[in-house]
Amino acid sequence: MRIFIVITCLLLFFKAADAQENYDASLISKELMPYATVVIRNSETTIEVKDLSNVNYHITKAITVLNKNGDDMARLIVEYDKITELKSIKGAIYNSFGKQISKFSKSDCEDYSNAHDFSLFEDARVKVYTPSVTEYPYTIVYDYEYRSKQTLDIDKWEPVEHTGIAVEKSSFTFICKPDFNINYKASNLAGKPLISTDTHGLKTYTWQLNNQKAAKHEPFSPYHDSFLPGVQIAPQNFTYYGINGTYNNWEDLGKWEYNNLIASRQNLDSETIQHIKEITKDIADPKQKAKKVYEYMQNKTHYISVQVGIGGIQPFLAADVDKQNYGDCKALVNYTQALLKAIDINSYYCIVQADNDYTIGLQNDFPSLNQGNHIILCIPFKNDTTWADCTSQTIPFGYLGSFTDDRNVLACTPEGGKLMHTPKYTLKDNVKRRKANFAIDNEGAISGNMTTVFKGVDYEYRDELINEPRTEQNKMLQKIYPINNLLIDKLDLQQDKSFNPSTTENITLHARDYASFSDGKYYFLLNPVNRIEETPKEVRNRINDVYIARGYTEEDEVTYTIPSGFRPEKEPLMVSIEKPFGKFTATMVLIGNQLTYKRKLQFIEGTYSKDTYQDLVDFYQAIVDADEYNVVLTKN
Amino acid sequence: MKKVLIIILVLSFFSKFSQAQDFTYGTITQEEMDMAKYPKDTSAHGVVLKEFGDSKITYTKRGIRLIHTYHVKIKIFDNKGFSNATIEIPVYGNNNEEDDINYHQPVYDIKGVTSYKDEKGLTQQIDLEDKKIYQVKDNKNWLTYKFAMPGVRNGCVIEYQFTFETSLLEHFFSWEFQGAIPKISSEYDVHIPAFWDYNASLRGTLKLNTSQAKIESPCFSLPGAHCDCSFIVYSMNDVPAFVEEEAMTASKNYKSAIYFTLIDYTNPYTGKKGNGTKEWADIDDRLKSELFFNGQLKRKGLLKDKIRQVIENKTDTLNKAKAIYSFLQKWFKWDGVYGIYSENLSKALDKHSGSDADINLSLVTALNAAGLNANAVILSTRENGTINNIHPSLDDFNYVVAKLFIGNQSYLLDATDPLLPFGVLPLRCLNGKGRVMSLDKPSYWIDMDTHQSKRSASIMDFTLQENGKLKGTITNYSIGYDAYLKRNAIKKFNSTDEYVDDRYSNWQRLKVLKSTINNLDSLDKPLEEIYEVEISQYDQLNNSKFAFTPFVLNKITENPFKLAERSYPVDWGMPSEDKYIVNVHLPGGYLVNSPPQKINLGLPNNGGTFLSSYEQLDNTFIFSTITKFNKGIYSSAEYPYLKELYNKIIQMEKSEIVFSKK
Repeated sequence: MRIFIVITCLLLFFKAADAQENYDASLISKELMPYATVVIRNSETTIEVKDLSNVNYHITKAITVLNKNGDDMARLIVEYDKITELKSIKGAIYNSFGKQISKFSKSDCEDYSNAHDFSLFEDARVKVYTPSVTEYPYTIVYDYEYRSKQTLDIDKWEPVEHTGIAVEKSSFTFICKPDFNINYKASNLAGKPLISTDTHGLKTYTWQLNNQKAAKHEPFSPYHDSFLPGVQIAPQNFTYYGINGTYNNWEDLGKWEYNNLIASRQNLDSETIQHIKEITKDIADPKQKAKKVYEYMQNKTHYISVQVGIGGIQPFLAADVDKQNYGDCKALVNYTQALLKAIDINSYYCIVQADNDYTIGLQNDFPSLNQGNHIILCIPFKNDTTWADCTSQTIPFGYLGSFTDDRNVLACTPEGGKLMHTPKYTLKDNVKRRKANFAIDNEGAISGNMTTVFKGVDYEYRDELINEPRTEQNKMLQKIYPINNLLIDKLDLQQDKSFNPSTTENITLHARDYASFSDGKYYFLLNPVNRIEETPKEVRNRINDVYIARGYTEEDEVTYTIPSGFRPEKEPLMVSIEKPFGKFTATMVLIGNQLTYKRKLQFIEGTYSKDTYQDLVDFYQAIVDADEYNVVLTKN
Repeated sequence: MKKVLIIILVLSFFSKFSQAQDFTYGTITQEEMDMAKYPKDTSAHGVVLKEFGDSKITYTKRGIRLIHTYHVKIKIFDNKGFSNATIEIPVYGNNNEEDDINYHQPVYDIKGVTSYKDEKGLTQQIDLEDKKIYQVKDNKNWLTYKFAMPGVRNGCVIEYQFTFETSLLEHFFSWEFQGAIPKISSEYDVHIPAFWDYNASLRGTLKLNTSQAKIESPCFSLPGAHCDCSFIVYSMNDVPAFVEEEAMTASKNYKSAIYFTLIDYTNPYTGKKGNGTKEWADIDDRLKSELFFNGQLKRKGLLKDKIRQVIENKTDTLNKAKAIYSFLQKWFKWDGVYGIYSENLSKALDKHSGSDADINLSLVTALNAAGLNANAVILSTRENGTINNIHPSLDDFNYVVAKLFIGNQSYLLDATDPLLPFGVLPLRCLNGKGRVMSLDKPSYWIDMDTHQSKRSASIMDFTLQENGKLKGTITNYSIGYDAYLKRNAIKKFNSTDEYVDDRYSNWQRLKVLKSTINNLDSLDKPLEEIYEVEISQYDQLNNSKFAFTPFVLNKITENPFKLAERSYPVDWGMPSEDKYIVNVHLPGGYLVNSPPQKINLGLPNNGGTFLSSYEQLDNTFIFSTITKFNKGIYSSAEYPYLKELYNKIIQMEKSEIVFSKK
């Protein structure tokens, strides 16, 4: 019997070696060429779970690179760490006719640390092979295997990771014992997986993707996961860094995380507990108490990313943070929870996907480990659920901003995990309101003052200016406000850190040559400080819906006092547009020597049909036109 | 009373010698703890209270080593100063076993302590724990030690020290007196045994407070040899923070720091004189003899076969050179590594990939193998800082290009980028001087930045239609370096069609009807883009009056220069020239009421000009401008003129041409 198995394996091996594909680039179908930088000729990913602490990954891929922009996508990058062991890497390069020109193996790869730039330490490494071929097209073919000792976090299959990638054929096979139960979720793939039993009695799941055209970059697209194909797998029983577990829903997973990562990490020494009690003893309102504790934590700690312990998902001990005064998001949330516990305030450790551009939530229908990249704190006061990010020394208590707003998060509690949703900032919350009084003199110089209030996610817009030297603040303001020769006479920045926070900027300024004077006429730009200068790019045959992550409101009112005795030479500006996704009005009125300019722009968050896109571009064009309105005044 | 007196006595006694002493680790004064701001720069987020470094060459059981100790104490005022409390010490180790980072700990004795005031206002200290010092192997040559100081908070004082050891005596540690935050005192002690001779050079505008040398004896000994040392103390007090400016070259050029170059040495074991670099002749000899440089240049055989076919049937020297250049541009892919040494030219040739030295030394060799006269030019790229040409030092150079001579003409060539035209260097190379190295002649300096320019011309020819649209052509020419930039921009797309689709896609009123791009792959010719376009300028021609902004393209609304004055030069690397011509044919019966101003502006010393002109013939008007910057570098004294020139251009671009029905 044993001999038989060996022979079958050998036969299989020969078959694989024999099945030399033809990588001639001219064989690629013309249909796949538009917007393609590379074409995946064939890709096979096989994941086999041998047992809970032994998962084999085998990937073979053939990529034809059509031009030099594809070189990056042709690089072979294999990640590994303490529990992921690289077994083999081999590959070859073929020229445009499909003739092999070179070969490579593991020893030809460079080895690098794969830690994030922001991290002080992470146990993550990569092997990288960079092909160097100067004639296009060429094809790189590689085959690599690695073994992972955990079953909690199974790599997602993403046959198309990027725009510019076309696929001839790609397949994914997941192999496990018949009694090994998994949950899976396929997105943007036609058809159901093929589920069968192989000759060894193992269960196999297979997905395929064939003849997929390259996606192109389309502005205002939703998050790529929502339109690119992929398969996620979550085993029901797993082992992770030696800890076993079972889960079928968010509740189970959240409970496992609480029990194994957090529960035993929150002890503090009695001195600290006493101190926290002391500083909050005169406050009655629990929310104000929590605010006091949060501010204590903010003043004491700062963010440093060190990813160690259970694959980097376990926080430092609270007592350690108390001593070191630093930690990453996990450690700081865990520490804050421990501080709050000292005064009997219950809070949740919440996993979230932080992202400023897209509100990506944890998936309602598919629980798995790797859906978040950040930890925030939730305090469930009665009828007033409060949220806090513990990694900043300056943001107000209860403020999340665009980093983690409006999305599903997983609260890990002793009772189990629960999906919660963070607060949403609407166009009524995200407000930038400006009022300016300027005078333009006979020489064309402008002077006056300007007050701007920022609210909602805009609250943070001036953070980088705060506490900077005046000279640096001036430099930054000269970049923010496009007035040439701008000089700042006075700057006052105030932040109101209440539960409804706002930032107020007061500027007194002057600038020479704002208006130019020629032939008895004045010329100046009506909109001095808040111009949109370009529309988003036109997109033909758009595929994706139009996505506006967040609504906002901008209101500007500028009053100019101009030299007397002039009248406008052209029609005054008067624009008013209303669309399903936004509103824009801009007007100009000259009464005596007072010229008043008003501009209001609103965007409404949401996902709109792809046909809306042209409308959006036209809307922007109208704004661009209005924003570049040049005032021409002639002497009476 | 007595006690105090004794302390003072001890202190004053000590201070006579303490000038060249490290400060005591772990001590902190009440004054340091109480400091709320740094009076000399109240906006600083932190200040270095004391910084001390010591470097010495000494004999250890591992051999002759260069040992550097670093010790610093920093006051941190607020959270924007916390970044000073996260420390990274990157260490380079080559394959040389003595320095192999896989086998040795090049950095040791790392210690740190944070002092802070507790809630009661008492000073407390917390030590850095050894297990919280991390080591990251970045890649095969670099290892980084990282740690975050414990207990950091507003108003705390951090202090840390470490020792670093290497056998690379050529790279004697330099010392930066100036950093991102101000420093109250910074001192660097060096001990150099007489077997070695280094040149020290100070950069930046600040003056040393101390620069004292004395003889230290005995100082250096190994079995069978002894010698004295020069012991030199350099120090600066009240050093302001270094502030970067835009459009400046490497900050290294301006930051106050001291650098050392090994110019001579005697082997302490044998007493034999080493190859120092006191004179350029020494460097010439060394580069010629060392395998890494001219050793590779002699390997003509490697390339002879490869280029035989390339130059076959070519009789003209220039054509031969161009063929070889473009052959190697296509042969090699630059791996992004900078250096002046080629470790293994034949391996690089086989891999089709290598550093600038692999590629350009191949180029020099290939040109010479073809019977042409080419030399190597070593230089320092812009981000690497300018060359100190008083003391020759190979450490300053990090890049090689080729210089080819044909008759009286010479060409500078860099084959690392397949889109560079023959004779055009990438911007990174345009940085002060380069040194021409040849096999048979002494080396000499050349200017790197007088050979090329960036030029463009946009020519528009529009006819105003009865429906209010402008119809016509836009022709753009990109010449010299501008053509290189434009080709790069086009090649970012998968095809020229995709480029054209994108070209004006931010501008909804302009529709491209037809387009042609010429000379995309003929690198030596100007790149030509021709677009037939239609611009929806006016809704209809119903009004009696029309305003027309002649700056249909390239209108400048924002001055790139914002600062009232600059401390450092503006360095664009090369001169530039932009021409802009717009030609408009109006329908019959229209008249221009207010033509634009003709202006003629200049920069002092023929530094540049902006000219506009306007002509009208029947129903056609032509408006044109020329913007010329004749230099690559403008000094900080010329800066206000440059800024004002832009200001005037912007002023002028605001005005409109008004025309109306007769």
